[in-house]
Amino acid sequence: MTDKPNPSNHDAAWLGDDDHLLVPEPLTEALDRLYTSGPSETSMAAARIKLGQALKAEDVEVVYYDHVPDSPLGAFFVGVSERGVVALSFEESEDRFQAWLQRRVRAAVVREPSKLCEVVSQVLDYLDGRRRVFTFAYDLRSLTPFQRSVLTKVQEVPRGEYLTYGELARRIGRPGAARAVGQALGSNPIPVLIPCHRVLASDGSLGGYSGRGGVRTKEALLRLEGALP
Amino acid sequence: MHRDEIFAYLWRLIPDDQAEDCLQETFLRAFRAYERTAPDSNYRAWLYKIATNVARTAHTRRRREMTREPYSPVAPGQLTPLETVTFHEDLNEVLQAVEALPHKQRAAMMMRKYQDMDYEDIGAALECSAATARAHVYQALKKLRVRLARGFERSMEAE
Repeated sequence: MTDKPNPSNHDAAWLGDDDHLLVPEPLTEALDRLYTSGPSETSMAAARIKLGQALKAEDVEVVYYDHVPDSPLGAFFVGVSERGVVALSFEESEDRFQAWLQRRVRAAVVREPSKLCEVVSQVLDYLDGRRRVFTFAYDLRSLTPFQRSVLTKVQEVPRGEYLTYGELARRIGRPGAARAVGQALGSNPIPVLIPCHRVLASDGSLGGYSGRGGVRTKEALLRLEGALP
Repeated sequence: MHRDEIFAYLWRLIPDDQAEDCLQETFLRAFRAYERTAPDSNYRAWLYKIATNVARTAHTRRRREMTREPYSPVAPGQLTPLETVTFHEDLNEVLQAVEALPHKQRAAMMMRKYQDMDYEDIGAALECSAATARAHVYQALKKLRVRLARGFERSMEAE
């Protein structure tokens, strides 16, 4: 075959109009040899380390996160700062999760599975029924004092038990603030770990849940904990 | 924060060991500017915008200081583009041609071909429309073909 490659087909493929037309041509081959491989693992690792040092030197705080693709509740992201676990999210888009986390913590946000091993394994053990309590500190920055008091108080509700929004409002010394308590629970940046699912409506219905799957997830968690049959 | 992806992008724009410095510069700038200018969405394109600007500065400086000293050969495998041409002399011309492209065209080409970006995002990174981003890729391609046409004809005749 002596067919000369048709330049217009190459252009179309390059521009993304017709990727199936991409046939080898000298220019594409040469560019691919130069640029396809990307940096080696070695230089990537060196760059990561130097970036870490540079951020530290500039006093930029780093918050690490990881993505867990599979759990009884579906995929989730989890993040940890120097102060403790800072986020658990059922957000589906990594970009949106990052933007949200970054806005909340005002720190550099880095995906680094090695920093999340312990958190991830405790969460998965918990969801599999092999663990009853978590041993982490929580980083509740960016919340209002009221939200923080609600989310701190709800941690005292043990696994297998639940209470009502009104009861939780009383416990933080704000009887009558049941509705505000419900909203504060909805702002929980670390669902599952901070058990906002253990708070129900006074009529015995489940109330709301902001995680993925909504009330069904809440029900699943309560059932897992033995609070529901 | 797309650290590895941005590093790969810089590696493609700065074909030597300066990509590391550019990576640091990109993220330091990003964090300093975060509260003022970060978008609610498309954080990725915003990082590409900063990286593209950092690379332009580095590239200009590099062209001024360029000595073209060949790097001491390391084990073949994943080399920087500049190291690759020391092993494959025939690629030198291509690298030179790419390096000579206007910055936006080169950036658009790398984003389109090797960074898995769509034209909307490339436009966001280059602060232009998606149609203009596409035109940048087209222009880059056209310039490379024109500039390299003679070289390829020669090598094809030789085969």
